[in-house]
Amino acid sequence: MQKTEVPPKPAETVPEFSKASRQFRGGRALGLLFGTIVLFGAIALVSDTFLKPYTMFIIARQIAFSILIALSQAVCLVVGGMNLSVGAIGSMATVILGLCFQEVKLNAWLAVTITLLFGVVSGAINGLIITRLRINSFIVTLSLMFVYMGLRSGISGGSPYTIPEDFGFIGQSAIFGVSWVFVLVCLILLATGYMFSHTIFGRHMLATGGNENAARLCGIATDSVVFRAHVISGFLAALAAILWASMIGSCAPETGDSWLIGSFAVSIIGGTGLNGGVISIAGIFLGGAIFVLINYGLIEIKANPYFANSFLGALILLAIVLDRVREIVGESKRKT
Amino acid sequence: MIASGTELATECLTLRGIGKRFPGVRAVDNVSLDFYPGQIHALMGENGAGKSTLMKIITGIYQPDSGEMRFRGKRLAPRSYRESLAMGIDIVHQEIQVVPDASVAENIMLDKLAVVSSGGRVNWRRLYEQASVFMREVGLHLPPSTVVRQLSAAHKQLIQIARALAARATVILLDEPTSSLSLNEADNLFALLDNLKKCGVTLIYVSHKIEEVYRIADTISVMRDGKLIGTRRSTELERRDLVRMMIGRDLREQRIGPTAVNEGKVVLKVETLTKTRKCRAISFELHEGEILGFYGLVGAGRTEFARVLIGEDRADSGSVYVDGEKAAIHRISDALFRYKIGYVTENRKEEGLFLGESVLTNLTLLVWKKMRHPVTRYISRKNEEVAAGKMVSALSVRTRSLADLAANLSGGNQQKISIGRWLLADCDILIIDEPTVGVDVGAKEQIHQLIWNLACIERKAIILISSEMAEIIRLSSRILLFADQQIIGEVSRLDDKSYTKVRDEIGNLLSAIH
Repeated sequence: MQKTEVPPKPAETVPEFSKASRQFRGGRALGLLFGTIVLFGAIALVSDTFLKPYTMFIIARQIAFSILIALSQAVCLVVGGMNLSVGAIGSMATVILGLCFQEVKLNAWLAVTITLLFGVVSGAINGLIITRLRINSFIVTLSLMFVYMGLRSGISGGSPYTIPEDFGFIGQSAIFGVSWVFVLVCLILLATGYMFSHTIFGRHMLATGGNENAARLCGIATDSVVFRAHVISGFLAALAAILWASMIGSCAPETGDSWLIGSFAVSIIGGTGLNGGVISIAGIFLGGAIFVLINYGLIEIKANPYFANSFLGALILLAIVLDRVREIVGESKRKT
Repeated sequence: MIASGTELATECLTLRGIGKRFPGVRAVDNVSLDFYPGQIHALMGENGAGKSTLMKIITGIYQPDSGEMRFRGKRLAPRSYRESLAMGIDIVHQEIQVVPDASVAENIMLDKLAVVSSGGRVNWRRLYEQASVFMREVGLHLPPSTVVRQLSAAHKQLIQIARALAARATVILLDEPTSSLSLNEADNLFALLDNLKKCGVTLIYVSHKIEEVYRIADTISVMRDGKLIGTRRSTELERRDLVRMMIGRDLREQRIGPTAVNEGKVVLKVETLTKTRKCRAISFELHEGEILGFYGLVGAGRTEFARVLIGEDRADSGSVYVDGEKAAIHRISDALFRYKIGYVTENRKEEGLFLGESVLTNLTLLVWKKMRHPVTRYISRKNEEVAAGKMVSALSVRTRSLADLAANLSGGNQQKISIGRWLLADCDILIIDEPTVGVDVGAKEQIHQLIWNLACIERKAIILISSEMAEIIRLSSRILLFADQQIIGEVSRLDDKSYTKVRDEIGNLLSAIH
């Protein structure tokens, strides 16, 4: 019989977690930062009012909203799904908040809690149907989007609800000139970043989105991960609706109507992978900034607002095409 | 109909010095072959020998890096499958590829719908007429309008062959066509192939199954590690020599080393584990320090059993004992975290690795729970890097950095990471499924050494699933043979037997049932 000795292990140096290999994702954020600065500079040159503190206050608040709504979408994209009912949940949440205030005359804390609870429940419904019945998230959330949109129109009749005046505090006031909404959303964004880089749940979300089969074989309860992602999504959408009501001082039922395209635009521009498994917190922040600045710039140069959607669509496409080009270039470099 | 035999008699498909490299592997290395009309030419070899790559080169799915192909006297350099099909070369893939919700006739005539249409409107009567000609030829006695979804695998296979005939293919490549057929269905297929052969079609037949190759092939070529080992007439090739050509006579024919099984310690005991269409009354014991080989043909039920064992599929009946205690494994996390049973998948790309994630994440995924801070739940990157770094150097994984994406590594290094993840998780029982598929020779040797070290030095218990006989004999302390979802035999005490003796024992056991 053949005896084989254990060969000595080759002395190899342990590779470092070098920053060079993060170039792809890091480079993307740099590009977005550059874009943001250029846009900011260009608008500042054209506009007299742009650099005024009040405009900055408004812009920051807009950015905060677009980030919050994008996060609501991105948590679903990360696990390999999507949530088309982001805006509809927002609209429905607004109606529920309005009902709590105007009809039931609840105090603010209770009204907010009930509205957030609605967000959680609607997300849970999405998540349950998707994971229990194995139905594509596209179809589930598309159907529920229409369900909620119909409900909010039917219940509200289209007219806004009045809310107590002091409820506008968080949406309208500032701390050191910075909108409370902006501060709050930045905290949420940082927490999300922490979750994705340093907690098991966040990294299980990334793994599930990256390769669901592999994740399951690693003992990750992928259904539960997807479910929880949708719950978070619903919660964030409802939170955005509450902040929005606070900002405009009433509960307008059409609140979430424009959210859907924005949520995708900011997520995608910010580098969230459409196939799941990839998210960039810096990307979403800068994506939100670019989104808002472009909208502002279009108004500033008095572009026909009817064309706004075309710019938006082109921008999303550009972001995707640029990413794809980088990928192709990366692949051909790897081969040589 | 098929072109007449006389027209084809002098023509053939020739390959000269064909080569194809993939990162880290020479998949096809300087292969020259001749294929004659009216002949069934079998292409044999173990997994990863390069047969599939060669088939894909002939049918234009891959382009060769070197060499030349000639077909009917002209240079053949198809840039796509469509181009090769247009020249009359078609392939019937192992995975059945049909449009399930279309009719049989549409599936056969898919690329010829324009021929049977007028003004963009499909003439269904003509479509059915023409399709039924080819259906008769392959022995498909069904209405042409039958929807394909409800048909059996055998029928679908025949549809694919009919499609090749409809494309007027004079060269048809068949990749393991019997892998999803019953014995009876396979018989029908062989009769059909014989017929096609008589009509002058060139048939190239890839298979692992020695029996059927001897039964139908005129010529047998054997590939190993991308190289052509030899071509013989099937009547002049002894079975023993064929096996030798396939397995090779290199170092791999030796046992890697003695294993040290602790017979007194049963770490895993499986009793009549059964699950419909997955496994039938599987019973065995696994000891500390043992490498238990599961050998059998593809589809014998080894992987299916493993998946039932780890809780991916729920067993219908039977019980499992880990360290003497009855184990309740309902989901994979039970197997992994409660009983420390790990499963390294055979499909590392589809369900093993997170290709878009870093090497670091791929390695540390299972141990985050142990690494996180009890209160803040913070997973320290530093701890991760230490753990992953140790594993990378222990397995000598070639990567520039821990942040490199898994997708950028070669097959062998990917496999090492795929295994390394479970080593970090400190599993006591490790099921390793086809550990060296698509891995180059050097990495293969390292992986073998790694598996042996795990059992003999780290005292783990290992279940090794492999379809490669040389690998299973080289590593195992004991071998269980699988066929038809059950254990059909056992070869024990491999440490005391010679390689050839074990090989013959396996051969005897297998031939007893086939």
